[in-house]
Amino acid sequence: MDRQLKILAYFVFVLLVLLIALPVIYTYSLVIFQDSHFTENIQNIDFQSIKLLFKSILWSGLVAGLSTLIGGLLGFLLYKTPLKYKTFYKLILLMPLILSPYIWAVAWQDFFYVTFDNNLWVSSVAGIIWVQTLIYTPLAILIIGNALSNVDKSLEEAALTISSPKNTILKISLPLVKPAFWTAFILIFIFSLSEFSVPALFSVKVFTTEIFTNFSAFYNYNLAIIQSTLLVVISLWLLWTESHFISKAPFLSVGNRGNTGYLFRFKKQRIYIKALLIFWVFLSVIVPFLMLSLQALKSGYQTVFQAFKILQPAFIDSFIWAATGSIIAIVVALIFSYFSWHHKRQEHRLIRWTNLILLTTFGLPAMVYGISLIYFYNRPVLGWIYSSVVILIIGFVGKYGFIALKMLQNTTRQIPFSLDEAAQLTGASTFKRFKTIYLPLMTPAILAVFILNFILMSNDLAIPIMTFPPGTQPVSVKVFTMMANASQSLTSAMIFVFFTVTLSAVSLLYLILKNLLISKNVYR
Amino acid sequence: MKKIFLILSSIAILTACQHKADEVVVYTSVDQIFSEPILQDFEKETGIKVKAVFDTEETKSTGVLNRLIAEKNYPQADVFWSGDPVRTIVLKNKGISTVYHSPQAADIPAVFKDPEGYWTGFSARARVLIYNKKRLKPEQVPQSIFDLTKPAYKGQVAIANPLFGTTTFHIAALFSALGDQKAKEFMSGLKHNQVVIATSNGDVKDRVSKGQLACGLTDTDDAFEAMKENPDVGMVFLDQNGTQPLGTLIMPNTLCLIKNSPNNKNGKKLIDFLLQKSTEAKLAKLCAQMPLHKSVPTPKGIPSLDDIIPMTINYDQTAQTLENIQNYLKEWIGN
Repeated sequence: MDRQLKILAYFVFVLLVLLIALPVIYTYSLVIFQDSHFTENIQNIDFQSIKLLFKSILWSGLVAGLSTLIGGLLGFLLYKTPLKYKTFYKLILLMPLILSPYIWAVAWQDFFYVTFDNNLWVSSVAGIIWVQTLIYTPLAILIIGNALSNVDKSLEEAALTISSPKNTILKISLPLVKPAFWTAFILIFIFSLSEFSVPALFSVKVFTTEIFTNFSAFYNYNLAIIQSTLLVVISLWLLWTESHFISKAPFLSVGNRGNTGYLFRFKKQRIYIKALLIFWVFLSVIVPFLMLSLQALKSGYQTVFQAFKILQPAFIDSFIWAATGSIIAIVVALIFSYFSWHHKRQEHRLIRWTNLILLTTFGLPAMVYGISLIYFYNRPVLGWIYSSVVILIIGFVGKYGFIALKMLQNTTRQIPFSLDEAAQLTGASTFKRFKTIYLPLMTPAILAVFILNFILMSNDLAIPIMTFPPGTQPVSVKVFTMMANASQSLTSAMIFVFFTVTLSAVSLLYLILKNLLISKNVYR
Repeated sequence: MKKIFLILSSIAILTACQHKADEVVVYTSVDQIFSEPILQDFEKETGIKVKAVFDTEETKSTGVLNRLIAEKNYPQADVFWSGDPVRTIVLKNKGISTVYHSPQAADIPAVFKDPEGYWTGFSARARVLIYNKKRLKPEQVPQSIFDLTKPAYKGQVAIANPLFGTTTFHIAALFSALGDQKAKEFMSGLKHNQVVIATSNGDVKDRVSKGQLACGLTDTDDAFEAMKENPDVGMVFLDQNGTQPLGTLIMPNTLCLIKNSPNNKNGKKLIDFLLQKSTEAKLAKLCAQMPLHKSVPTPKGIPSLDDIIPMTINYDQTAQTLENIQNYLKEWIGN
């Protein structure tokens, strides 16, 4: 192991512990050691709460399962078949992630009312599963599709010489990206489990609404934090199962990535593939977006201009904060991913602990994590962090760093370490090997992670609402604070503007970065 | 060691210098679309920079309150401007606010002020019933809150989640005014009548305005907004008739000064500014709020407190009742 890399990895790990983990540890220590009601709060987690937790797990499991399956299929079609307008589909299918789940849920509620004169069906558990599946499927498309595009072409070509495409897909391509399926499932499961705005809108009680009620109606933070621990335990259990049953599986050893992935050509089924993609775009994007647009344009274009004028000052800052958070998360994830690659994919305790820290902050409900940041950073000596946007960036990296780490670790697993060993024999330094071998092979994944984290950080509401410094205002927060009592048309217009501007920014970033990072990359 | 000490001292000095003399930090749960223009006027008039933290509907407007509670040991805010009395009373009870008797509040009726000076009310909203004219004929519109439990309105009435916001306070006020038994009977009646629990007052407004439901309880600002947008929406002040009518709940905006706040002096200036008659006049114009000062000019159509029979309650006691009934309300909502 290279000494410099080891020092860098340990240094970043210490920073993670100090900046991200310590606030949570500090808050838990307050709850356990300073709260006289600790035992009473533990007793408050009764049978009803546990029952509710199991129900929520079941529903979130269904959402995660459906999203992963559908996302896997769509990811395959987008990344493993020679489809026209791929970039367009890839970007448009990301659209459900741009807006808050609450807004999509309102759009669906309106759609059912306008179309069927009744929205009772959608205001139910089935409605939650429906809306959340549509919203989170893009995550699975991105994660699984990206992994599929990295599968070694020669393995698939070899399989095709002796077997049918169907067999090759089922026995070679898909098993090779099993970790990506599992990652997508875990991430969506945790997102769904900790999301409370859709169940609240549909008047369905879930475990997170229980936590939210204790937090926001009873101001019983300590009980809310104890309840949140159960969510973290579930997240950690999922991580444990992954490391035991998936990561060590032998079929993960993928071959050389020095070429583009194999593309399956289904000539006869081409029409069905297109129909399926268009159907999903229609369902997940066009229907809800149409509802929002119709309401936005009901009062004419003037309202849209008014909405733009209101939101415009907040856009630039919000995008800069999201881009900064996303870049930092990627840098951290890259250092640990490279460290694990260097370690020949053996589980190193540093990687285990980093996963543990970032998964804990990801699995904690954002409100609880936000409170931890306030408790820890709001003190005179750390005031320079608390009263600046640094707190917001720390919050973003803590909340979404796990996604970057997981996705980049998965891609790293697909790169043979023999490449590094060969370069080492030539006497190349760690930095040179990182720059010339590892980084170019990682660029498509880095781009995907950047876009995903940028979207999630731009539209995040819960972390900013607890941490943004007075006098600043992220655009996501502004949309929600303004819509509280604005007219329906202005509310819809603000959502429309937010959506359109964010999508334009994402598309622009995607095209610029793709051109900069991938097109000039000799390995692709 | 010396170096570390120097770095830490520099950071501490930098931190101490952060709060400039010409700024004030206000946290507000009042909708940004209404509060922001008023705060901008304060900036223009005094030259004091206002740093505001606004709150959102999706988090039930509890973001700022939770921040204030969590920041108790090292407050960042100078002033809290609440859309109702509940949150300022919570802050008083948690020892987060401090006493301030503003000279501008001298002629505001005592019932809308904390006797000890922890909070002061101004511009009020009322709890009203909005209805969709396409769903209810004039003679069918409920006139009393108790009408909502009648079979004619089964599954047709919306209220916001009673664990949050002004709806909690409304229910607590009913418990104060009616007593536990009668209030619980009323709540059971609502439940039996399949009342729809919306996420917020805004959600009640939207559902009634779109005709998804016939009527719902909300605040006057939502009601006026709905009527402005949709001529099919009407509004009623409930329980105004009879020999001993229950009356309508009046909820003033409230202001409190945060204890040990960094810009205490500017905080007081902001409170004085917000308690002026001119602010009440602006809020009447912006969001149909009823002034508590006498002789404030209001636009046509804005009701005056003199014309409404208010529900007789003590705000501090009602806030206490609210704490007592929260578990009951949680059970009432059920699964």
